Amino acid sequence: MIQNFRRVFLTGLLLILGVQLAIAAEGPGNDSNQIDIQGKLRNEYFLDFSPVFGKIQLPRIIYDNNGLHFFSSTTAAINSNSGLTDEYYEEGHSKIIKNGVIQPVTYELVKDDGGHIIADFSLSVAIVYFMLSGFLVLLVFIYLNKKYSEGVGRETEPKGVLQNMFETIVIFVRDEIALINIGPEKYLKFTPYLLSAFFMILFMNLFELIPWGESPTANLTVTAALATVTFLVTQFNGSKDHWKEVFWFPGVPVFVKPIMAVVEFLGLFTKPFALCIRLFANMASGKVLILSMIGLIFVFANKFGAGMAYGTSPIWIVMTLFIYMIKLLVAFIQAYIFTILSALFIGLATAEHEHHDAEPAHQ
Amino acid sequence: MDMAYLAAGLGAGIAAIGAGIGIGLIGKGAMDGTARQPEASNDIRTSMLISAALIEGVALFGEVISFLLAIK
Repeated sequence: MIQNFRRVFLTGLLLILGVQLAIAAEGPGNDSNQIDIQGKLRNEYFLDFSPVFGKIQLPRIIYDNNGLHFFSSTTAAINSNSGLTDEYYEEGHSKIIKNGVIQPVTYELVKDDGGHIIADFSLSVAIVYFMLSGFLVLLVFIYLNKKYSEGVGRETEPKGVLQNMFETIVIFVRDEIALINIGPEKYLKFTPYLLSAFFMILFMNLFELIPWGESPTANLTVTAALATVTFLVTQFNGSKDHWKEVFWFPGVPVFVKPIMAVVEFLGLFTKPFALCIRLFANMASGKVLILSMIGLIFVFANKFGAGMAYGTSPIWIVMTLFIYMIKLLVAFIQAYIFTILSALFIGLATAEHEHHDAEPAHQ
Repeated sequence: MDMAYLAAGLGAGIAAIGAGIGIGLIGKGAMDGTARQPEASNDIRTSMLISAALIEGVALFGEVISFLLAIK
């Protein structure tokens, strides 16, 4: 039984990896052994199912000086007479080579009739997967809500794989993250936010690991939005003591207080900033690492010929598999770290101290 | 050659060294603590992860800057 499971698991893993390799190898053009790592980090305007199904362009919503425009795809936007164009765009090609360097078609639209784009509300890959994970979180919690309303899990034992699995994680987030860091009086108020953040980030991180999936958390905009929500939740629920600590730090000499105020005020912003960069850098670096490992095959093919590349590719594939497993671990750890640090910041801001304004007595 | 690539490579390496030393010290402290008081291992693991994440965050700032230097 266990051996069978192991066999199925390994086969599945190798299959997924094979598709991932095929996707990555599709990157360079046939006439050049370059692999486009930066292109994989870019926020594209199409869903890329290339080797098997091709590309699906996403709708563009553009607000320019002529008003709001809706297009079903980037091609439609360029072919329309709205003056929108893309300098790298070429029908049917994903990449063109300009001055010997691969220029991926960015689908970055510009106005060529002298106007300017005020705001680009287009759906991008990151937004699509962000919404998808939000939808998944919604589905999971509606399902769990239904189960618990019926009494399954409260009066009886939880039933089924899904409920058991999610109950474990939900209770972990409630007891090990919220309760410990926020304190017994207020933790229930913030548990919903922490749960949503945890599952959103977890799902977004895991999208990277399925074939053709993209992780929205490898995009700075998405992580910045997440960190902003934590920042707002923290500041709007700050207690009186929190603001006192920020602007008039207790227990230090008066001449130090203005300096502490500056430091503490900056600290309000550096905390969510670090949160945002940490999540982004962790997810993006995993992506870059896998592509670099696969890129080594192309480096070997360039330097020593195709035979060497075929010969050494098993090494790089095994190393990619290793990084792949690490990424699975990192997906969970980063969701945990983001949630626990959010809880920590919320706990620090909402804490109300017993007042001991007087200097502590020296023995 | 572009000096930015050299700067990026050196910067990434130095940031990794710093983070490695820092996280190593945290791991050492956590191991010592857990060996001395196995019943407190859960609390120790939580604080270990938090401090490791904070150190890692600073190191990642360095790595991101290196990355920006390399792809500028």
